[in-house]
Amino acid sequence: MAEVVLKGVSKAYAGRPTVHAVDLTVADKEFMVLVGPSGCGKSTTLRMIAGLEDITSGRLLIDGADVTHAQPQKRDIAMVFQSYALYPHMTAYRNMAFGLLKTTNLGKVEVDRRIREAAEILHITHLLDRKPNQLSGGERQRVAIGRALVRQPKVFLFDEPLSNLDAKLRTRMRGELKRLHKELGLTVIYVTHDQIEAMTLGTRVAILSEGRLQQVGPPMELYMRPANTFVATFIGTPEMSLLRCAVTPDGEGSLLQHERFTTTLAARPGAADVFLGVRPEEIRLTRPAEGMTRGIVERTELIGSEALAEILIGQDRIVARMPVSEAPESGAEVSLSFDLTRARLFDATSGRALAAI
Amino acid sequence: MTSLSSETTSVPVLTGPRPALAALRRGWLHLVLVPIALLWLSPLLWILVTSLKARTEVFDPAAGFWPQALEWGNYPAALSVAPFGTYLVNSILVTGGILVAQLTTITLAAYAFARLNFPGKNLLFTLFLLQIMFPIYATFLTNFVTVRELGILNSLPAMIVPFVASGYGTFMLRQAFRQVPTELADAARLDGCGHFGILWHVYLPLVKPTLIAFGIITVVTHWNDYMWPLLVTNSEGVRTLPIGLGLLAKSDSGADWTRLMAATVVVVSPLLLLFVIFQRRFVDSFMHAGLK
Repeated sequence: MAEVVLKGVSKAYAGRPTVHAVDLTVADKEFMVLVGPSGCGKSTTLRMIAGLEDITSGRLLIDGADVTHAQPQKRDIAMVFQSYALYPHMTAYRNMAFGLLKTTNLGKVEVDRRIREAAEILHITHLLDRKPNQLSGGERQRVAIGRALVRQPKVFLFDEPLSNLDAKLRTRMRGELKRLHKELGLTVIYVTHDQIEAMTLGTRVAILSEGRLQQVGPPMELYMRPANTFVATFIGTPEMSLLRCAVTPDGEGSLLQHERFTTTLAARPGAADVFLGVRPEEIRLTRPAEGMTRGIVERTELIGSEALAEILIGQDRIVARMPVSEAPESGAEVSLSFDLTRARLFDATSGRALAAI
Repeated sequence: MTSLSSETTSVPVLTGPRPALAALRRGWLHLVLVPIALLWLSPLLWILVTSLKARTEVFDPAAGFWPQALEWGNYPAALSVAPFGTYLVNSILVTGGILVAQLTTITLAAYAFARLNFPGKNLLFTLFLLQIMFPIYATFLTNFVTVRELGILNSLPAMIVPFVASGYGTFMLRQAFRQVPTELADAARLDGCGHFGILWHVYLPLVKPTLIAFGIITVVTHWNDYMWPLLVTNSEGVRTLPIGLGLLAKSDSGADWTRLMAATVVVVSPLLLLFVIFQRRFVDSFMHAGLK
């Protein structure tokens, strides 16, 4: 049982707030990913959980105990750093043993058993006698994870652990982390700026922007029902296109008016000025007479299995995804439709999502 | 083995036509280095040779460079002029004491300057830097007064106390500490280390080259120091080796060069021996610490 609860946790540097009252509960055995652009406060939040940064206000509970002001080693956590932070003058074995010997009263035999066990899981048994400078990036990464594993902490903290690896290795380590989480039943808080990592690893994802929590939920929920325009455009590549529209009441429902098209909605969204958000796969090229509207293709990118087309509709630029065989020519005028059953509306002033269409 | 064989096969192709030129190309650095090395070695050699000559040979141009017979007797004669055994012990105690004290103080101060935040940190550090810029002789008088007030004149501590801290060492070590990634310190904190633990287990092992380089500088400086020990000591029991050498040079009959050189050999040999033993270590340290 290892639940992490953040209650209004804030951080200010010299009076300048950087993290604003974050409320977040990470359940036992959950893989929680904190994601956001650089400078959004995700690493600071993680470091506050680790005890490496003081918490300016708010409370932090780990497993029910208030550890807001506890020393890092008293929190029963282990952390994997972006640069791995392996001690260069110690062998992999010593790196893994160091924290165990310092923080516990375990005998040499038990320490050795734990290290061998972790090394086995991570396939690094043959590397234990080497120093970090004799290891490759991926191997260092494994040793760093091993150092956390042997501690058998309540919570594992990862600070962008894959960002120093090349793309191929990153994909492999991602799979590995997922396997470890599942097999060993770990509670993980994982920081990344990479939304692919967030989507593939997290059982739940927390999105931060400018020190504020934007939305927390399972990856697909964030993708399908983003809470605001920030989340809508942050998750998903290419990002969701936003079209400025006006809403006017029309009988029971309402009328959605873009500068180039008008469509009816069954409900009333509750705002007059809105953004219509559509994902690339929700845009369909149609035969000339059948589309909702027309647009000019600015650019087409063939990315192997599919094609992406940037299309200008009045002032708005949208990105559509389609099979390569259907990719339009640049400069062509195309007719298109949106899948309005999946499209979302956002209040144009606050950016917040409105009730379903 | 593979690299060796590929080298031997490629060498004839390169050097076949003009082996002399190729040898020159590979060895030209030695052509420069060997004369310089000889130049640097010549005083040492001269000292050694003179220490084995008879007194009449020293200024006799006809006697040649090498001694006619090896006068080993110069050594016991030189050592009987003053209690060199006591001087040697004093030198070791003073130099060792300064080294231990300095390593302790500069480590703690450098850590504070490199990694802690406290009010007045920058001002304090500026004062440390200022101290480096003062010539040592400028502080002799105030140091002398301090030592006298402490009531330790004419004792071993009188030669140690003024040097227990070092602005230069603090500066050097602070720079080295700042090169250590902060994530390592973070990792150590999670591994249960406090400030002293981080310093001992992470920072010090990583700045070993700088520590050794500083250690050499400090040992050489204080082993050879003449002025300060001369100022604060006046009895034989607490004097150091360089002062003993001075006694030989100033004896009533004028400098007795053979004995003086014999004593000099005795004084410099511990340092030379240390250097020969740890030569590679020393050179590495200076390379790592970026000092020359």
